Amino acid sequence: MKQVLKLRNLKVIFPTNYGIIRAVESVDLDIHERECVALVGESGCGKSVTSQSVMRLIDSPPAITRVDTLEFDGRDIKDYTPKQMQEIRGKEMGMIFQDALTSLNPVMTCGKQIDEMYIRHQGLSKEEAREHTVKALELVGLPEPRKRANSFPHELSGGMRQRVLLAMAFACLPKLLIADEPTTALDVTIQAQVLSMLRNMQRGCGTALLLVTHDLSVVSAIADTVYVMYAGKIVEKAPVRELFATPHHPYTVGLMSAVPRLSDTERVFTQIPGTVPHPTQKPSGCYFHPRCQYATAECKKEMPPLKTIDSNREVRCHHPLSIRGVSHA
Amino acid sequence: MKNTYVIKRIFYSLFVFVVVITLNFFIPRIGVVDPAERYYPPQGNMSEIEYEIIKQVTRKQYGFDVSTWQQYLNYLQGLSKGDLGKSFRPGSPAVIDLIVERLPWTLVLSVSTLLIGLIIGVMFGVVAATKRGRWQDTLLLNASTIMVAIPGFFIALMLSFYLGFELEVFPAYTDSNMVANFDWSLAAIRTVAYNAALPVLSMAVGSIIGHAQGTRNAVIAVTNEDFILTAKAKGLKQNTIRYKHILRNSMLPIVTSLGMSISGLIGGQVVIEQVFNWNGMGTLFLEANNTNDYPLMMGIMLLLSGFTILAILITDLVYVLLDPRVTVGDKR
Repeated sequence: MKQVLKLRNLKVIFPTNYGIIRAVESVDLDIHERECVALVGESGCGKSVTSQSVMRLIDSPPAITRVDTLEFDGRDIKDYTPKQMQEIRGKEMGMIFQDALTSLNPVMTCGKQIDEMYIRHQGLSKEEAREHTVKALELVGLPEPRKRANSFPHELSGGMRQRVLLAMAFACLPKLLIADEPTTALDVTIQAQVLSMLRNMQRGCGTALLLVTHDLSVVSAIADTVYVMYAGKIVEKAPVRELFATPHHPYTVGLMSAVPRLSDTERVFTQIPGTVPHPTQKPSGCYFHPRCQYATAECKKEMPPLKTIDSNREVRCHHPLSIRGVSHA
Repeated sequence: MKNTYVIKRIFYSLFVFVVVITLNFFIPRIGVVDPAERYYPPQGNMSEIEYEIIKQVTRKQYGFDVSTWQQYLNYLQGLSKGDLGKSFRPGSPAVIDLIVERLPWTLVLSVSTLLIGLIIGVMFGVVAATKRGRWQDTLLLNASTIMVAIPGFFIALMLSFYLGFELEVFPAYTDSNMVANFDWSLAAIRTVAYNAALPVLSMAVGSIIGHAQGTRNAVIAVTNEDFILTAKAKGLKQNTIRYKHILRNSMLPIVTSLGMSISGLIGGQVVIEQVFNWNGMGTLFLEANNTNDYPLMMGIMLLLSGFTILAILITDLVYVLLDPRVTVGDKR
C-alpha cells in the first residue's frame, strides 16, 4: 500500500510565562492510502497539536516546531513555503473540526463557504462552483441542498452543519483527511449518522483518514490502526482489533476499562487514578508511572523506548502487560 | 422575518422619540422656565404695575399664559411643523433658526474628525493586529494608554499654544470674520480648512487611537476564532482570509462604535469649540445655558436625542445587513 503520510520525530514546544510546554514529543506517524488511523488520548495529550502540525497549521511563533521527516504523498513538505502549503491544504489535505458551529463563518452562507473550495482549487466560476456545491451537499445527505446552500450556519442543526463541513472537506477529494473530534459535539444518534457518512465518503473517495478522538467507541467503529497518546508521547500503536483484544500498555487498559459497558451489572465506574501531569511539570522516567499500578523503580528513572512487539505493534512500556502475563480488563 | 424586525425597530425608535419629547418638555418645567423671570429684578424706575404688565406680555408672547398641559399640546403642534419655539434672546429669534445657523459649522469639525479618525484608525488597527506583539502594536497600546490619561482640552490647549502661538503654523484662534465672510468661494473654503485644522487635529488624535484600538481588538478576536482555522485548512489565500473572513466579521464592533460616534456629531465639542472660539453647537449650548435660555436648550437637547436615536436605529439596521444572526433573537 502506498504511504500517504510519513511523520518522523515531531516535536512541538510552546514557551509560556509558566514554563515550557512540550506539547508533542518525538511523535512518529504513518498513514497509508485508504487507511483510517485513529489518534487517541485524553484532553491535552497533544493529539490536536499533532494533527494540526501535519497540515502545518500551528503558528510559529508562539510554537516552536521541529520535525525530521514530514512526507506527504511522496513529497517532503517540511520546508514548503506558506504559499506552497496553501496549494496543498484543502486540495490534497482536508480537515474537519469538532464544533461545526464555530468552525463555519457565521456571516457567510454555507454554500459560499463550500464554493470557495472549488473557486480556489479548481478555478471554477461562481456559478459552476455552486453547481458542484449542491451536488456535494446532496452526497452528504443534506435535504434540499440547493435551498440549504443559501442558509447561514446558525440556521442549520448540529448534524447538518457537520455534513456541510464534510461536504467542504471532501470537495476536492483530498488524499488525506484529518478529522479532529468530528462527533464530540453531536447527539449519539447523529454521531452514528455522521460517522457512517464519514466512513462512506472516505471509502468512496479513496481518502486516508486521520481521526483524532478520545472516544473509543468511535475508534472501534471505523479505525484500522490506532495510536494511543499520553502526555505528548505515543505510548502504543496497534491494529484496532489487536489493540482491543490485547492492550499492552497499562494506560490503554485504563482507557478501555473506563468505558462503562451495558453488560456491567455493578454500576461502578473504573477510573485511572490520579490526573494527567501538568504539561510544564511532567514526571521523571515514564510519564505514566505515577498513575500506573505496575510501576517499578525502573519506570521512575527511565523513559521506556517505543519497542516493536508481535511484528506489527509498538508499545512504550518497560513491562508490557500481556507479556508479563497479567490478565487485563 | 427580517422585515418584521426592521419595522419593529423603527416603531420602537419612534416610541422612544415620543418619550424623549415628553421628558424634554416636562423636565425643565419642574424648575423655573418662566420667561418673565428674565426681567427680575425690576429695572430702573419701573413701577410695580409696569413690571406686572411686562411680565404678563412676556408670558403671552412665549405662550406661557395657558396651563402646562395646553402648553405641551401647543409644543407638540409646533414640533410637527418643525417649530422648536422661540429663544429668550432679545428679539425672540426662532430656536430652529439659531440651530440651523450653527449646525453646519459644528458638522465641519465633527464630520472631518469622524472620517479622519475612522479611516486612519481602522488602518492602524488592522496593522497593529497583523503585527501583534511587534513594535507597531506596542506603540498603539502605549499611545492609547497615554490618551486615556490626557483630557481632550489639554491636547487642544497644547496644540493651540505650540502650533498656533509659537510656530504660527495654523491659527490658534478662529478668525471671527470667517463665518460672516463665507461665500462658498475657493478662498473661503480654504480659510475654513485653515481655521479648522487645529480643532480637528486635537479631536482626531483621540478618535484615531480609539478606533485603532477597537479595530485591533476586534480583528484579533476574530483571528482566534475556529472558522479562521477552517479557512486556513481550506488552503485559502492570505488575502481572502483577511478580507472576506476576518475583516467582514470584525466590522460588527467597528459599526457599533461608529454608530456611537455619529450620535456625537451634532452635539459639538463644547470644550474644544471654546478653546478655539469656534461658533458651533457647543458654543450655542453654552450660551443658552449661561443665559437660562430654556427653549434654546430644549431645542438643542431634542435635536441631540433625536439624532442619537436615529444613529442607533441606523446601526441596528446596518447590523441586519452585516450579521445574519441578528434577527434570530427576535424570532424566539
